[in-house]
Amino acid sequence: MNIIICIKQVPDTETKIQIKPDSSGIVTEGIKYVVNPYDEYAVEEGVKIKEKFGGEVTVISLGPERAKEAIRTCLAVGADKGIHLNDPAFEGSDSYATAKILAKAISQIPFDIVLTGKQGVDFDNSQVFAYLSRFLDIPFVSVVVGLELSSDLKSATAKREGEGGDKEIIQVQLPAIIAAQKDLNQPRYASLPGIMKAKKKEIKNLSLSDLGLSPDEVGLKGSRVKIENYSQPPERKAGRIIEGEEPAEVCEKLVKLLREEAKII
Amino acid sequence: METTREIFWNVGNVALLVYLLAAVVVFIFIYAFIQRIKLWKIGKEEKRKDQIWERIKSVLVFGFGHKRLLTEPYPGISHFLLFWGFVILLLGTIIIFLQEDILSPIFNLFFLHGNFYLWFSLILDLFGLLAIIGVLLALYRRYILKPERLDNVFDDAFSLILILLILVTGFLTEGARIAFTRPDFERWSFAGWQIALILNPSWTESESLLIWHRFFWWVHLGLAFLFIGYLAYSKLLHIFSSSLSVFFRSFEPKGKLDPILDMENQETFGVSKAEEFTWRQLLDADACTRCGRCQDNCPAHLSEKPLSPKKLIQDLKTNLLLSAKALQKENPDEQRKNLIGESISEDELWACTTCLACQESCPVFVEQVQKVVDLRRYLVLMEAKFPQEITPMFKNLETNYNPWAFGFASRGDWAKDLEVKLLSEDKNVDILFWVGCSGSYDDRNKKVSQALVKILRAANINFGILGQEEKCCGEPARRMGNEYLGQMLIQENIEILKNYGVKKILFACPHGYNTFKNEYPQFGGEYQVYHHTDFILDLIQSGKIKITKKIDENITYHDSCYLGRYNDIYDSPREILKRILEGKIKEMERRREKSFCCGAGGGRMWMEENLGKRINQLRVKQAQETEAKTIASACPYCLTMLSDGIKEIGLEEKLEVNDIAELVASLL
Repeated sequence: MNIIICIKQVPDTETKIQIKPDSSGIVTEGIKYVVNPYDEYAVEEGVKIKEKFGGEVTVISLGPERAKEAIRTCLAVGADKGIHLNDPAFEGSDSYATAKILAKAISQIPFDIVLTGKQGVDFDNSQVFAYLSRFLDIPFVSVVVGLELSSDLKSATAKREGEGGDKEIIQVQLPAIIAAQKDLNQPRYASLPGIMKAKKKEIKNLSLSDLGLSPDEVGLKGSRVKIENYSQPPERKAGRIIEGEEPAEVCEKLVKLLREEAKII
Repeated sequence: METTREIFWNVGNVALLVYLLAAVVVFIFIYAFIQRIKLWKIGKEEKRKDQIWERIKSVLVFGFGHKRLLTEPYPGISHFLLFWGFVILLLGTIIIFLQEDILSPIFNLFFLHGNFYLWFSLILDLFGLLAIIGVLLALYRRYILKPERLDNVFDDAFSLILILLILVTGFLTEGARIAFTRPDFERWSFAGWQIALILNPSWTESESLLIWHRFFWWVHLGLAFLFIGYLAYSKLLHIFSSSLSVFFRSFEPKGKLDPILDMENQETFGVSKAEEFTWRQLLDADACTRCGRCQDNCPAHLSEKPLSPKKLIQDLKTNLLLSAKALQKENPDEQRKNLIGESISEDELWACTTCLACQESCPVFVEQVQKVVDLRRYLVLMEAKFPQEITPMFKNLETNYNPWAFGFASRGDWAKDLEVKLLSEDKNVDILFWVGCSGSYDDRNKKVSQALVKILRAANINFGILGQEEKCCGEPARRMGNEYLGQMLIQENIEILKNYGVKKILFACPHGYNTFKNEYPQFGGEYQVYHHTDFILDLIQSGKIKITKKIDENITYHDSCYLGRYNDIYDSPREILKRILEGKIKEMERRREKSFCCGAGGGRMWMEENLGKRINQLRVKQAQETEAKTIASACPYCLTMLSDGIKEIGLEEKLEVNDIAELVASLL
């Protein structure tokens, strides 16, 4: 099995995001970056598939130099090789351009299954896997909470979360793209020998020219979405406790407030 | 008649035979003992041979002096009598041997007569009797009282009865001899004299007495030789192994974990096989006599979790014996049990709160906690196997340097409105206040940090904090076995402190305090560290803060493990309370060295407590028994655990917990 995992390095979820004064982006100073949490489930699933069926796990990430740390983190938990799509020209790529670059890189190597997270927790677009499916011309299953590969490795049965908590069971031909949701597995913690070994594993740098893409296809030029400006969401107001002796009395006050103040009923 | 007695009286010319037999049993003992030393030596090297005089002193105080054994009167006195009875009787036997076979034949020197003989007889009889009382007390306790902490195996009964029979036949031999020879001065052998009166009330010369004497003499001799031969194959070995354990005890700070050095160049980490422990750690397996004091003080055991420190050491012993045998064969791993999983369960290892109660109560200085951490290290570093809920905690420490999911940038937010000086703004401070993760992020403990700031301001102390530059001190990660993460945090902190030239550090958290005091020096970080209880007491005593009002209430004080047992700070918090209370300190039954853990140490704070009872609730109930309305604490973990315990039991109306800093600050 050639298992490909697309990961993204994102700001830690606890980061206090600050907007640049000119609203053109966020202040990156002092941000701790981590592997996108949903991608961690993809990595774990990939390593589990390797452990069960054999093969090789390749982690691919698009991002600036610092994204190497994220790739290293994945190598420490059992991935074998890393590919770093690293070129200043890639900067500013939206989901569409990102998927295009990823697809180009993946199509140059053999693959039987592509795993990734259901969304990046930075922009939360949840689009890359779908674009990737189109560019690679293979099916995808998203929001996957369970995955079972057939013994001949020709197909997979994926359990995905549908609307309202329903579960859909989907059978899909391989190669396919699987976008992982939280309950897919329990990502392992890196063992120390794993961390040490990861330091020696290969991470291949691929640039625009290595991939054979034109500058117009990537970065801001190759993107379909342009971000005009960034702003903070309005601050949440503090909650209010409605006091009263009897439940009925409290309810009455609540209804009044919802009607007159919140104006939602 | 001369005041003495004939050695080998009535048994004929058997000296040669006796010494031949003696040589055989002594050889058996020495052979077996050397095997035992070889067994310990399969472990790794460890340096414990410095400070010889201190070590000898330890053996005198804790071995011969029974200092720790006597902290529990019944078993302590019982053992003391038995021990000293045997020591004196052994000395007596050696004196007789010297007299009969060295001094008399070679130097023609004869001293065992006259007054010396009388006192000799008296003292030996006295200590023989005391030894019998000791054995009987032990037998009564073990088989009639049956305390929960003792498990009985054949060896226990056999050893005690063997000792009893040796003593009794000794007296019977003496009695029969006196009954036959009837010298008046033998009244000094008062026990033997009484037996003689029973054996031969009419004082008639009776041939049967000679036969009885010979019989008792041979039985006594045979049993004594059996004892020597049996020594190294039984629990009696502890006479030597426990003494060695005391001799090779650690003189390092109690709360210090041994570091894994040069991690980058090691291939395995922690311990998963008996021989990966050090020889000193393996000696513990034989030093342990299964007395169960550890278990009686272990919060995990008392809250019905699978861990008992006694069982842990015994399980190690079983595994060690099996391993030693297997190691002599091919494929040793197939012929023994896995140390982790089969001999010692993972649940046991994760149940330990590292509270050190086991080690403080162990009379022979067995070291349980380092072993637990060594085994945890293997699980965490090699296998990444641990309770699931710890994963996010480790990851939080890695990314945000605190065990919870709070951003590192908000670490200093608790002090925002207080305008506390940050070292990054002004590094000219007299002392750094190390706030710690709890004091920075936990709502309840932020109040303690704020109270301490109030106290420091009242005392005009020029202090500062690191704010978002401070990172977890590394303590929980280390104690959970994640040495790699622990050392990473320690080194990063040392770097930051070096930048600011920090020398003095004040702690509200005993865990941070202990780690900085006892473990940072391992990595090159040397500071003068203070826990706030010592510091505040000094401020009160030196008049820098004035207590004008007092709290009119009875308060109980909960000793934190890492403050008390780990660092012997028992008095400062109590001295502070004395000075600020109108009422009294209502002490709990379990206090000071025997204090009961809150349940949070050793990383337990971040693990689910699914097995047994909840430790924090047990402690709250102990506090409730004092009828105090407030528990004073001096540790953020304890504060959290006890507050939770109070809520869980529903005692919010009756009981509250406050840090000592808060109590003091409330009076300023």
